[in-house]
Amino acid sequence: MTVVARFEIRYTRYLDHLGKVEGSLPEFARDPRALVPDYRAMVLMRALDAKAIALQRTGQIGTYASTLGKEAIDAGIGAVLARDDVVLPSYRESGILFLRGVSPHRVFLYWGGDERGNVFPESPRDFPFCVPIALQLPHAAGVAYAMKVRREPRVALAICGDGATSKGDFYEALNAAGTWKLPMVAVIVNNQYAISVPRRMQSAAQTLAQKGIAAGIECEQLDGNDVIAVHDAVGRALERARAGEGPTLLEALTYRLSDHTTADDASRYRSAEELAERWKHEPILRLRNWLAENGAWSKPQEEALHREVNETVQAAVKAYLDTPPPATDQMFRHLYAHLPHAYEWQREAAAGTFEETGQRHAELHAG
Amino acid sequence: MRIFTLPDLGEGLQEAEIVQWHVVPGETVAADRTMVSVETDKAIVEIPAPFSGRVEKLFGKPGEVVHVGAPLIGFEGHEPDSGTVVGEIAPAGTAPAVRAPPRAGAAAEVKATPAVRALARQRNVDLASVAPTGANGLVTAEDVERAAGAGTAADAPTPLRGTRRAMARNMALAHAEVASVTIMDDADVEAWETGSALMPRLARALVAGCRAEPGLNAWYDKHTNSRRTFEAVHVGIAVDTPDGLIVPVLRDCEKRDLADLACALDDLARQTRERALAPAALRGATITLSNYGSIAGRYASPIVVPPAIAILGAGRLEPRAVVTADGHIAARRLLPLSLTFDHRAATGGEAGRFLNAVIADLVRPS
Amino acid sequence: MPNCTLVEAVNLALARAMEDDPRVTVLGEDVGVNGGVFRATAGLLERFGAERVVDTPLSEALIAGMAIGMAAEGMRPVAEVQFAGFAYVTIDQILNHAGRLRHRTQGHLACPMVLRTPCGAGIRAPEHHSESPEAMFAHIPGIRVVYPSSPRRAYGLLLASIADPDPVVFLEPSRLYRRYKEEIDDTGEPLPLDTSFVLREGSDVTLVAWGAMVQEALAAADELAAEGVSAEVIDVATLKPLDLDTILASVGKTGRCVVITEAPRTCSFASEVAAGLAEHGLLSLLAPVQRVTGWDTVTPLARLESRYIPDTRRIVAAARETMQYS
Repeated sequence: MTVVARFEIRYTRYLDHLGKVEGSLPEFARDPRALVPDYRAMVLMRALDAKAIALQRTGQIGTYASTLGKEAIDAGIGAVLARDDVVLPSYRESGILFLRGVSPHRVFLYWGGDERGNVFPESPRDFPFCVPIALQLPHAAGVAYAMKVRREPRVALAICGDGATSKGDFYEALNAAGTWKLPMVAVIVNNQYAISVPRRMQSAAQTLAQKGIAAGIECEQLDGNDVIAVHDAVGRALERARAGEGPTLLEALTYRLSDHTTADDASRYRSAEELAERWKHEPILRLRNWLAENGAWSKPQEEALHREVNETVQAAVKAYLDTPPPATDQMFRHLYAHLPHAYEWQREAAAGTFEETGQRHAELHAG
Repeated sequence: MRIFTLPDLGEGLQEAEIVQWHVVPGETVAADRTMVSVETDKAIVEIPAPFSGRVEKLFGKPGEVVHVGAPLIGFEGHEPDSGTVVGEIAPAGTAPAVRAPPRAGAAAEVKATPAVRALARQRNVDLASVAPTGANGLVTAEDVERAAGAGTAADAPTPLRGTRRAMARNMALAHAEVASVTIMDDADVEAWETGSALMPRLARALVAGCRAEPGLNAWYDKHTNSRRTFEAVHVGIAVDTPDGLIVPVLRDCEKRDLADLACALDDLARQTRERALAPAALRGATITLSNYGSIAGRYASPIVVPPAIAILGAGRLEPRAVVTADGHIAARRLLPLSLTFDHRAATGGEAGRFLNAVIADLVRPS
Repeated sequence: MPNCTLVEAVNLALARAMEDDPRVTVLGEDVGVNGGVFRATAGLLERFGAERVVDTPLSEALIAGMAIGMAAEGMRPVAEVQFAGFAYVTIDQILNHAGRLRHRTQGHLACPMVLRTPCGAGIRAPEHHSESPEAMFAHIPGIRVVYPSSPRRAYGLLLASIADPDPVVFLEPSRLYRRYKEEIDDTGEPLPLDTSFVLREGSDVTLVAWGAMVQEALAAADELAAEGVSAEVIDVATLKPLDLDTILASVGKTGRCVVITEAPRTCSFASEVAAGLAEHGLLSLLAPVQRVTGWDTVTPLARLESRYIPDTRRIVAAARETMQYS
């Protein structure tokens, strides 16, 4: 028997959990000040996330899926994407949306049960959240296909979780992307849990990145809590895609520091010890340590940032609470380009009136 | 274990250092009792117990950093179970009361279509009191109208229903579509044996006409512009009844002799009077016969109703003055005939030959 | 003027649409080099090239999902699923995304895609190749479901579906694919969507059908005419949104209705038509609405197919049943 194929999966990390540098930093990170915008973004994301949880606890938004712990992934991706690239998120990527210019109050609207939370006028080509797991990946293949045949230097970047890698749609999309060398990047946010199912029960594969080997595409693994690694790996993947070299599958390792949603109780399936241990690896602290160590961040800057972040958060809450409930015909207004005649009566009936049905009832039985 | 995490310390602070624990595992604490002192950049903060309970575990030692949102203290017990990962599924109060199913009302015992029920309401007729004449005991619209009786004022318009409605519809359709031509002639039946019944003779004569000119024993389809002739002769017999015009069909006349025709016609007449005609008996006529002369009239222009293309009308049989072969005036019993045909489908020649064949059969003594 | 079978009419319409609009792209399994297993896409690859006629890997979920992504980016994808039996997996994408994208983004993104698939029984095919999924698709908000019954209507309705700014599931009756030919004027003229077609006027009973059943309905109308029953035949054509007005006007005239589908009876689309008549046409009805449907069984294989698919005899019997009532 001869070996006809081998594979290897490379892993990237530059900052360890204490903020110490491993190996040599990539070019763009040689000046630590270049990462300050990422830090600011991450702090804002965490503050907005905490506020969202607080709003849920006080009954002002419904079930909310926290982003606690994945700030480096969102910040890194948001920093390297081009304006007219297209993002296809799952449902935990509010951080990326903020960096795409989407007003934070839209996230509150989404989880608060208002369709306008899916509307991104600031970034209209990006896809809204995708709740059915992994369905966004075939969408990304389609978006990338359009970009390719039009010869555009744009990329479709889809994000999914570790659980999503078990779904057929995940593989089908990567397979197609590889077959046609599509300008597509898929980022697996491996936060170690799919609700209660831990990574070891999700797949026997040693890494999730290597699932791309089956599709014949570039695959890498990285420390998702190291924003420099995220910058680097995603940046390179985007360049490859733009240069026509095809798709990349990235597995960003992180940990879901929150419950799956505000309705979930993770203590049912994971120990507090494990959680406490993983907090030590969280992304904001290590970045701050490294920035501070290199003179790129100071206490006055930290305090100023917190004031600024507070203002942004308050403004977002106010914008959310000030948004009046939608008109009933929101259900119909954009259902089709033009509401078919067959459904016009339903729009009237939904907006009105029991009188409507009462009246027709009377007509039917009138003398 | 119920986990209590480090709460928001205010002013955007992310973490704090544990300075000193004020409780030990195994201890029972009351709510608001100070559990731990932590130090932030700003100050030393005392964290109170969020509820009363027994402490099970402490996370972290003095000097260690704890993050906002990270586990701080574990209490004995369990978090209340939301029982979901999305939304809220609150327990209900009591089960809804289920009422006993209602007894079927009297309305369910009367068989009538919704249109008839609406009519009954309109006419103020109690359906339960109406004698049904429809199939399987169905109350028909006519039944309701009858029950409504003379209730309508003399000058109020009466909507036509049942056979009259069908007649209005069919005649309008025929009038709009058919290219109607009527040929009139007389058959000299002076030679008829005494006791000859008119209708059987007419039926037989019609068959003779069909044999001579099958083109008139046919249907015309305007959509495909095609004429479909039939071997069988199913004669529709126009009958005047109290309910209006009914046209039952005497089937397969070409197979019947005179006696058979007479019998079958009697049966048909009886069934019509007794309103015992099956709906199939009203369909499928290939040609129609109207003995209007039994009531009044000599010649007429009877209307042919599509898809048929011919109708033979017979006027009043009576003696009239004729000019005989040798030029004298004589009194002869004549049967006036009016044959209307649809000129879209048949020619004058076909119609004329047909009529001649009919007359030829009629003038025979038997 | 070309004389086309139904599948040739589909091919003609695709070629016309691709010629007139460079955004139109065909994708699916075996659609390129092979021209489609039914030859619906024959010749398109040679004419329009591999970027516009895409042979995909074997992935119906991918095909539907990709079409959504392409459509959101402004292309006009026409995705083929080889057989309706393989289309069920696309319901996930169609229902969860295609039908919702415009609504969720309040118009910023839209999904002008067409998903076409051959369906229906009667081609003596192996298992799973004789499905009638129209009711399942018709239940999905935000899309259209179109089901032609003749070469000319296939041509005109497919053109309209491709041009439509919203998702269309286009169901093609496979047993009519080569049944007969019609002359088609290849002008690119679409037929109206959201409209039913009265194929034959009548006064005694209305026969409502779609897809291959329209042929049976017309044959039944002929038989009924021989008995003196004048049947009006309506081809629904666009199942969703349903043109109930045309059907109501007809039943207002005839008072009787038979709805025909080869799909299983329970929750068939015939049920929707019957409900509409009960709700809006009750006072015109002279008899209960009859549904002539497939049985609530798995579609049988070839040897029993003819005992499953509604035939002229069953339709005529149902029509006679309605005539009994008054």
